[in-house]
Formats: sequence, C-alpha cells, structure tokens
Amino acid sequence: MSKHRMLRFFSVLFAVALIASACGNDSSGGDDAAPSDAAPGDEAPSDEAPSELAGTTVTVTGPERDESEANAIQIALDIFADANDMTITYTGDADWEANINTQIEGGNPPDISIFPQPGKLADFARDGSVVPLSDAAAAATAANWTEAWTVFGNVDGVQYGVPVKTDLKSLVWYQPDRFAANGYEVPTTFDDLLALTDQMIADGNTPWCVGIESGQATGWTFTDWVEDLMLRTAGAEVYDQWVSHEIPFNDSRVVDAMTTVLDLWNTEGAVFASGGSIAATAFQDNGEPLVAGDCMMHRQASFYAAFFPDGTAFADGSEGAVDVFYFPSIKGDSPVLGAGTLAAGFNDNPATMAVLEYFSTPEYAEARQVAQTEGKDGGLSGFLSAAIGQDTSVYQPLEQSFLEILANAEVVRFDASDLMPADVGAGTFWTEGTSAVNGDITAQEAADAIEASWPS
Amino acid sequence: MVNAAYRFLRSLPTWALWAIVFLWSLPTLGILVNGLRPRDGQRSTGWWTVLGDERGLTLENYRTVVEASSTTNLFDAMLNTFAVTIPATVIPIAIAAFAAYAFAWIDFPGRKGLFIATVSLLAIPLQVALIPLLQLYVSGAHLTLPILNKTITLIPDLDLAGTTTAVWLTHAGFALPFAIFLLHNYLSQLPGDLFEAARIDGADHFTIFWRLVLPLSVPVLAAFGIFQFLWTWNDFLIANTMAGSNPDALVMTIRIANLAGDFGRNEHLLPAAAFVQVAVPLAVFFGLQRHFVRGLLAGSVKG
Repeated sequence: MSKHRMLRFFSVLFAVALIASACGNDSSGGDDAAPSDAAPGDEAPSDEAPSELAGTTVTVTGPERDESEANAIQIALDIFADANDMTITYTGDADWEANINTQIEGGNPPDISIFPQPGKLADFARDGSVVPLSDAAAAATAANWTEAWTVFGNVDGVQYGVPVKTDLKSLVWYQPDRFAANGYEVPTTFDDLLALTDQMIADGNTPWCVGIESGQATGWTFTDWVEDLMLRTAGAEVYDQWVSHEIPFNDSRVVDAMTTVLDLWNTEGAVFASGGSIAATAFQDNGEPLVAGDCMMHRQASFYAAFFPDGTAFADGSEGAVDVFYFPSIKGDSPVLGAGTLAAGFNDNPATMAVLEYFSTPEYAEARQVAQTEGKDGGLSGFLSAAIGQDTSVYQPLEQSFLEILANAEVVRFDASDLMPADVGAGTFWTEGTSAVNGDITAQEAADAIEASWPS
Repeated sequence: MVNAAYRFLRSLPTWALWAIVFLWSLPTLGILVNGLRPRDGQRSTGWWTVLGDERGLTLENYRTVVEASSTTNLFDAMLNTFAVTIPATVIPIAIAAFAAYAFAWIDFPGRKGLFIATVSLLAIPLQVALIPLLQLYVSGAHLTLPILNKTITLIPDLDLAGTTTAVWLTHAGFALPFAIFLLHNYLSQLPGDLFEAARIDGADHFTIFWRLVLPLSVPVLAAFGIFQFLWTWNDFLIANTMAGSNPDALVMTIRIANLAGDFGRNEHLLPAAAFVQVAVPLAVFFGLQRHFVRGLLAGSVKG
C-alpha cells in the first residue's frame, strides 16, 4: 500500500516540476518579449514622425535601490522613453560594485551603469569596457554641468561619464532652537567652530554626535572628516596631489588633518556615541540622539535627512526642526566636499548615447526630484543635482540651501576615498582609520600603514 | 532517595537540550520581535527592551515588505524563486537517482573510476566556476582549431544570461555530485536479496529501479530534496550573478537585499523580510516532515 502512496507522491512531484519549468520559461521569455510588446504600443498613434529610437531597449543599472530612489529614476527615464517610443529599464543593485565586474567579465554588461565612484569609472574607461560619450552627449554634458562636476567623468581628456546626482558632504546638522536656547551662534570660521565646541563642553553640553560603524565600510565617516579637513588646511591643490599620490599618504599635511580630527574626537566630553564608542556606533544612529538633545551637532552629507526619526521637521522654523550649516572654511575659500554618481555607457548605440544625453539635462534632474519627493510623501527627497538651469522650486527650502552652498562654492572636490585605488579608498583608509579612532595606533602609524598599502 | 537522585540525573540531558533549544531560538525570537517594532525603536534600543517601549508593536514593516515594488513586487519575486527552486530540486534528484542506481547495482567497465571522478567533483567550489559559466550562458562555447582555422561551436549562444533558466541550470549542475554520492551510499546498502529475487521473477533494470528502488528510497530522496530546496531557496550568489541584472528575473533574496536601501537606511525592514523569506521553507518542511521520519524499509521486506 505504501508503495502506491509513494508513487503518487512522486507523480505529484513531477507534475509540479513540469508546471514549474513551464513557469520558468514564461518568466525568462518575458524579457525577450518586452521590447516587441512595447514596439506596437497601446497608446494612440502620435502625429509626430516616429523617433529613430522607436522600439529600442536600454538597460540601466546602478547602486541606488531604495523604493523611492529606484522608482524616481525609472519614472524620470520613462518620460524620455515614452516620448521616443522606446523602453528603458532601471535595476537597482544592492551588490553593484561586485556585480558590475562580474557582468563585464561574463560578457553581458548593461547598456548604461551609474557609477558612485569616478575611480571605478576611470578603471573601466582605461581598459576599454566603458565607451566615450558621443559628441552630442559630451556637448550636452558640458552645457548642463559646470566643469567642477564634469571633470569627474573625464578620463585622460576624454569625457566618459555624465554627472547625474550630487551629494554635498561639508554640512553640519543642528537644531536652531536648541542653539538659540543656549545662546549659540552658527560658526562661520573653523576657529569659531572649535571655540563653539569648547563653549558647549564648558556649558555641560555634548557638542558632537559621531559614529563611524557601517558594516564592511566602517570608517568611511572618518575619511570624510579627514577629507574635509584636508581641503581646509592644505587646500585644493594639495588635495589633488594627495588623491593622485603625487605626495605620499603619510605626508605631514595629511597626518596633521588626521590628527586634528582625532584630537577633536578625543577631547574629553566632545563626543556622544550612542553605541558606547565611536567605532561601535552605526553612522545611521546619530539622528536620534541629535533630535533627543544628546548632542548639538552632527557633520554628515546632504542625504542624511533620511536618517532622522519619523516626523522630524526640516528648516521650517518649527520647534525641534533640524537644519544645516556649512562646515566652515579656514582660509575663506569655501571649499565643498562633494560626491555623486556618474552615468556611463558600455556601448555606443545611438539609443544608449541618447539616454546618456538625457541624463545630463536639468529636465531629468527635475523629473527625478519631483518623483522622489512624491515617493517620500512630500518629505526631503535625498536627491540633489547641480545641473544648470533647473527650476529650483521643485526643491524644498532645506534642499535649496544645499543648492545655494553648491552655487557659492569656489572649490568643489570629490570624496577622495572614492577617487583613490579601491585597496586604499575602500580598504586601508577605512580600516587603519578605524584603528586610529579606536586609539590602537596613532595618526602617523595609520598614515604609514595606508601609504605602505598603496598599489604601486 | 536513590530513586530521586536517579530521576534527577536522568532529567539532566532533557534540561540541557531545552537550554540549547532556548539559546538557538533566541536570535530568531529577536528577529521576530524586531520585525514588529517601528524603525525608530529598532534603531535606538535592543529588542529585549520591547516590553518597556512605549513605541509599541506594528505590522507596518510587514506591510512595506509585501507592498514595496521598486525592483520587483513580492509576488513576482516569489514566483521567480519557485521557478528556480523547483527545477533545481527535482532535476538533480531525477538524474542522480538513475546514476546512483547504475553506480551501485550495474556492473559496467570503468564504474569505479567514473564514480570516483564524479565524487571528487564535490571538492570543486562553485564560486570559481561562476564567471566561466556566465560567459558560457552569454556567448556559448566555440573552439577554434589552430591550423585549419576553423571554428566549431560546442555550445550555441543560448542567451541565457539574466534568465531564471541560467540560475536553476547552475544549481542543478552543482547539486549532482553530492546527490549522486548520497543516493549511491543509500542504494548500495539495500539488501541484494531483493534484487536477486526481482531478477528471478524476470524484472529488468528499469523495472527494478522503478518498482523497487524508487519506492524504497523515498526517505533519502526527500532528505536530499529538502536540503537542495533550502539551499536554492536561500541562495543569493548564483541568482545574483546569473540573473541579477534583469529586474524581471529577480529572486526573493535579491529583492530583500535591495530593500535595505542605500546606506542601509531601510535596514529596519530586514527582520520582517526574513520572516517572509522563511515562510515557504517552513511550510515545506512541516508539510513533508512525515516523509522524513518514515521507516527506511517499512513494509518492503518481511523477515
């Protein structure tokens, strides 16, 4: 009797398998069918002549995969796709940095990818995986962005990348009414900032929230501080030499910048770390203590708005609202540490280049900003673009102040750790920096170790 | 007195087991509790403080996990996972059962060497083969003869990259050595008398395999099936490499990893997502449980 039942069990298993493989074919056939589905189009025939891009498909991948971010990118791309009767798909990839290598080696890169690191884009450009922009796309990029930003997509004099998003890092988050209640003023020089820090400690307040834990990337917050200090103490020229390794990593000016950061953090009473120590506090966990009043200031990039507790108001003058001030300069040249993403193509198909051209436009930035603000239910979008000619009314007041800081900046430099070779910028700079923050080694020892790890 | 001491000593292993069960369930309990807490609660205090937390419990995280649709919606991702998992479980079992029977009970020349070769494939880590496999899926395999200058296509360009087919094909291939090894060990332990009796009754190899071996080996097939099912259900690496660039073919694990968001800003969704992810394996395990515990040779041979 049990024999029969087992046979029945097996026939069920096989039946399920057959159904499943039918399903499998369905879903794999789906993407082949997609373009032909789109080509005939259900929309009413338009009066215009059909675009030469009609029926083409362009795939875009990138590291941004949040619900609101990925949707906003897709919506902004769909505007262009619908106008040209083509299909553009965006895929956000949690493991983008590893996957793009695999896809290139495996021979199936996407048409376009969005790079968070100019260093990686330059590597791919030099080995020929990424193709230069067409003349039209390069001209559009030059017209829509200042050279301060286009230069990050420029490799050996050839334009490969289109800037698509801007992050502003030289920012300090604070609560204006808490400052007012204590009689503190927003510092405008770096000395004022240090004096304010001392003043807060003397008053029994904790000035800074600092946490640098970020999983595998623990330490990147420290590198941002060092980079901001380097830009201020050593200047943009030395900063560039530092990034391109024309001066060694253990140059005294770099060590000085690291020491300044460490001294500030190690000052008795200067830092609140909710996780017990700076290195054990997740960088995401600094918004809550700032709102709760455990600390007065937190230096972090423009995207940090997403990490404040639900219901936090931003720069609207209400009680408990959070605002930002510019991390002050030392020499009065208002340098800005930025970061961002660049789109680049893996083939020179007309459709690929047309989409890259669209990426550079203020229309793309506005469409994405509008969609992303909607995705955040009207809150801060977390998106920022320095494209020229945007309608700034799509940005909220705090975001407009970011744009103002960008516009006033005489010097813009990209996050150095994103420009350095990955062994350093995403390796020893983080790990040795974390050791120095923990007090296991000195700034000099950390700089020596990072210098030794620089690939020759 | 002695009795009491004896009873106490005898209960020790039970208590030790309970302690282990408790310790091992603790992280799961923590995930369950955190999955029900709002983001700010998760971000500020540990899950064990939930009782004194005025933020309370919410199903909001589960709602977001189920409804979020930026990459792929949950239902599509689950269908993709099934489309990978079921062929990747059934196909290796089907092939391995035939192969194991042949290795165990058919005497053919080179049997030992072939079996050793198959089993030694167990030692090859699948990670080293991922990129070559992907290249194979993208452009096939072509051999250019050096002197004749002629190219032979060994495997045509099937354009499988970015499909669930590529994922289950890889899973199925890499499961075979272990499946054959496991099933062979089990089948070779079946009593030889049984096969002799069947042969005397005029059964050929196929009849023996179909009428005797398969029904007898249901427990081991089910045991391997659940291992393979769990492994493919929870796989991230292979699915990510083979189909990660196609939003229409994303499986659940990739979708859940994407939920965490840039800079981990939505990490508070992961505990809830983890429970959605384990729901199906748990159902399969409890549903098939009685097949695992059934006696090995129950009712087949008498005496």
